[in-house]
Amino acid sequence: MSSPVRKWILILAPLAAMVAPMTMAAPAAPLKLPDFDALAAKASESVDVSLDAGLLGIAGAFLDPKDPEDASAKQLIAGLKGIYVRSYTFDRDIVYPAAAVDMLRRQLEVPGWQRLVGVRKDKEHTTVDIYVSVEQGKANGLVIIAAEPREFTVVNIVGNVDLEKLRRLEGKFGIPKVPLPEGDRPTGHL
Amino acid sequence: MSDERTNHDLEQSLRAALRPADPGADFPAGVLARLAAEPARTLRPARSLATASWLTFALAASVVLGLFIAHERQVRRTEQGLEARRQLIQALRVTGEKLELASRAVNTTEHSTDSLHSGA
Repeated sequence: MSSPVRKWILILAPLAAMVAPMTMAAPAAPLKLPDFDALAAKASESVDVSLDAGLLGIAGAFLDPKDPEDASAKQLIAGLKGIYVRSYTFDRDIVYPAAAVDMLRRQLEVPGWQRLVGVRKDKEHTTVDIYVSVEQGKANGLVIIAAEPREFTVVNIVGNVDLEKLRRLEGKFGIPKVPLPEGDRPTGHL
Repeated sequence: MSDERTNHDLEQSLRAALRPADPGADFPAGVLARLAAEPARTLRPARSLATASWLTFALAASVVLGLFIAHERQVRRTEQGLEARRQLIQALRVTGEKLELASRAVNTTEHSTDSLHSGA
């Protein structure tokens, strides 16, 4: 367990298995993402990705299986039905549109979705929420809502999310490998 | 008197010139043979050649057009695929960054007074 992402997966995977019997199956459909045009207008950088199953298939056909990064991505998207990302970076601190975020959270209050982690760091004005929908012990949807002073991100992954494969993203696509200090070894619970 | 004479001579000359004459027994056959032979030698070959030329041109143009359309379709498909691949890589990068952010937040929160919630 030499990385934060791996640690994270070790935490999420048992939790997902625990909540599985308690939850109804959530529909494996993309969330209705709010209109973030106002944020996009203020952002210095923005990422707007909407890949449904068809586009994921096309993208997969253009991944080189001989390239390690591409091979990882190809494995990861094998069971996915969609990836939707909205991410905005700002040059100055901003106030996020609470109504849009609330609309997003309301969609995650239906049976089937579970908030696995919600972190509030008041000093850093950072919140991170991770939701997962589980069906028969397997995650079939993942939502990340991350708000930082100068960055706001929503990720919605639809389909069979293989957390172990997500872990393998570490060190790829520019994601740095960050070794954990000895004192920060995972405890296996939240 | 002389006028009547002149008219009579003229009438006789005309009668002589326009008297019926037998064309001969082989005249109809000759005409029919000539009619039958003439189109085959001149008009029909010219029309067939023009038609064949147009057909060849149309066929060649269709082939070229088909190849062009197939090429354009392939170019568009390639562009769409490369763009989808770029977006996929970007989405995975953002996802990984936010998982890492969550992981860092959990690590530091465990040792601080900030709030940490779990839905489990």
